Amino acid sequence: MKSKNPKITLEEYENEFSYRKSKTNLNIEFNRIAFIFFIFLTISIIFSIQLLHLGSLKKENKATKTFVNKKNYRADIVDRKGDYLVKTVSSVDIGISPMEVIDKKKLLINLKLIFPNKNYSVIKKKLNKDKFFKFEKKISIENYEKIMLLGDKSIKPKETLTRLYPQKNLFSHIIGQIDDDNNGISGIEKSFDEKLKKIKEPLRLTVDADIQYLIREELIKFQKVFKSKGSTVILMNVNNGEIISMVSYPDFDLNKRETINDLNFINRATKGVYELGSVFKTFTVAAGLDEGLIKTDTEFLNLEKKLKCGKSTIREYDKEIPSNLTVEEILIRSGNVGSVRIAQKLEIDKLKLFLEKIGVLNKINFDIEEVGEPISFKWGKCKLATVSFGHGITTTPLQLAKGYAIIANGGFEIKPTLIKQTSVKLKKKRIIKEGVSEEINLILRKIVNTREGTAGFANIEGYEVGGKTGTAEKAIAGGYTRKAKVNTFASIFPTSKPKYVLIVLLDEPKTSEDYIYEYKNKKGSYKGTPFNTAGWTSVEVAGKIIEKIGPILATKYLEIN
Amino acid sequence: MKKIILSIIFALILVTSLVKNSTKKIEDKTFQLNENIRSLKIEFSDVMLEYNFLSSPEKLIQFQSQYFEKDLIKIDIMKIKIISEENNLIKLSDFIKKRDDEK
Repeated sequence: MKSKNPKITLEEYENEFSYRKSKTNLNIEFNRIAFIFFIFLTISIIFSIQLLHLGSLKKENKATKTFVNKKNYRADIVDRKGDYLVKTVSSVDIGISPMEVIDKKKLLINLKLIFPNKNYSVIKKKLNKDKFFKFEKKISIENYEKIMLLGDKSIKPKETLTRLYPQKNLFSHIIGQIDDDNNGISGIEKSFDEKLKKIKEPLRLTVDADIQYLIREELIKFQKVFKSKGSTVILMNVNNGEIISMVSYPDFDLNKRETINDLNFINRATKGVYELGSVFKTFTVAAGLDEGLIKTDTEFLNLEKKLKCGKSTIREYDKEIPSNLTVEEILIRSGNVGSVRIAQKLEIDKLKLFLEKIGVLNKINFDIEEVGEPISFKWGKCKLATVSFGHGITTTPLQLAKGYAIIANGGFEIKPTLIKQTSVKLKKKRIIKEGVSEEINLILRKIVNTREGTAGFANIEGYEVGGKTGTAEKAIAGGYTRKAKVNTFASIFPTSKPKYVLIVLLDEPKTSEDYIYEYKNKKGSYKGTPFNTAGWTSVEVAGKIIEKIGPILATKYLEIN
Repeated sequence: MKKIILSIIFALILVTSLVKNSTKKIEDKTFQLNENIRSLKIEFSDVMLEYNFLSSPEKLIQFQSQYFEKDLIKIDIMKIKIISEENNLIKLSDFIKKRDDEK
């Protein structure tokens, strides 16, 4: 019998296949590792680059960026010592959404308790209109806490940035105003609008708040004495053009944010364009000396008491002025005819060029936009004559300060500025010949410290004040009026090595019956203003200002120059 | 060779993560410090504003008339003296020396 189970025989199967290493050049194993290595290398290079990039980043951080980019942000403005003139602070405005008020009567009673001085009949009307309205701007912390404790959902606080002016009126014309959207509309706020929105650090000015205050106080005091329409003072460093003080009165409180339409509030220092009178005689003499056409002891003989030029007559103010005068005496005694003779020696081109050179003839490029433009005129023989003693030619007090600074500082070009520079420019460009300054400074000193001079009231002991007065009648339609004058005193001190130029301009001053003058070059005093001239008005103001600010300038500003 | 490459990769990953970690820590510290400085700066500027306001000439004169009986007086520059030490002796000299032509 055959077995049912089949027999299975296992035999070793042999075929021709046998595993062998690939004979191709492609090494898969190695390339895979190399590929991974390459990926990691790339990643680590990217990491390293990122690390290096992070390391090389400047100190900028997110917080600062968000702070600077905050809406309505503007950088602070400080004076030369770092005292705040303008500060951006965050404040809270309170608004009310009438739609969310639960009990209007209760809310009104509560608000009355916190803000008793508000007009609640108006607020009641607003509440009934169901439209969101601003209830209180720039709320104090105390009132903010009180109003939020009411727990009314309709009360909506909103944090805003606002500009504070701790010095109030003191720098109104320099700083200028901003609109409701925090955009500058005048002064530094306007001319540095973009910069103030970008920079983080405060903008440092050249002005000094203490000196500005003292000068403004004197101007206010003498405004009452001489009842002038307005006045201005500029105090500038003659060597670098830094303006230490610039006051224009009347001024306004920047915190009130009023719209100023009254022309009497213009910045007289920069925007006011005036005929300044005899202060221009200094320029005529300086031009003559610069051209080498005259010397200080050059004599002018047989000078007439009056000159006719076209329709106008040129007269001497001082009836007792001698007929023979040296150049020095012409300036000290403020001779009109003598100045005309010097100008005639110079001729139009040379005098015009000199005035252009010292920057009194054309519009000045300044740090604020409120700058007046001197009225242009046609030069002629008569114009040359009147320009020589400051009539028929206009300029701004700022340009006058610049002109006197150049003449006093040795003849070097300067640019008046309100912005404190961090780097000191060492290169000085000479525009007036060497030696002219020294000669003019000596004459200016004699105008103050001699009896013949017209500025004796500014002879304050210890300061070596020198300067020139200018009394100009105001131009009206068809001529000049004797009733309205512009009295100016352009001074420099100390004359042995000038550091400062001080311009005092009184717009339409009146004589005072009660003011008591103390003589400086002789003993005694005098009650009442005998003449409405610069010598009896602006010079007195300048003297009082120098007396007050002098000790500060002499001690605190030792580092200057 | 394989081991070297692998260890390099491992070392690179390790170093990168360590550097990244320490950088993050430093970044956090810097951020915190900057935030603290920023708040201190704001506080300082507010205090400075208050100080500037309270020590402004206008306020000082107001306080002087409010709390003191004597008036403020102008300093005569001719009376200002300079103190200096010379050979162990204290020397007083005029701050403003009168020029010969001014005497």
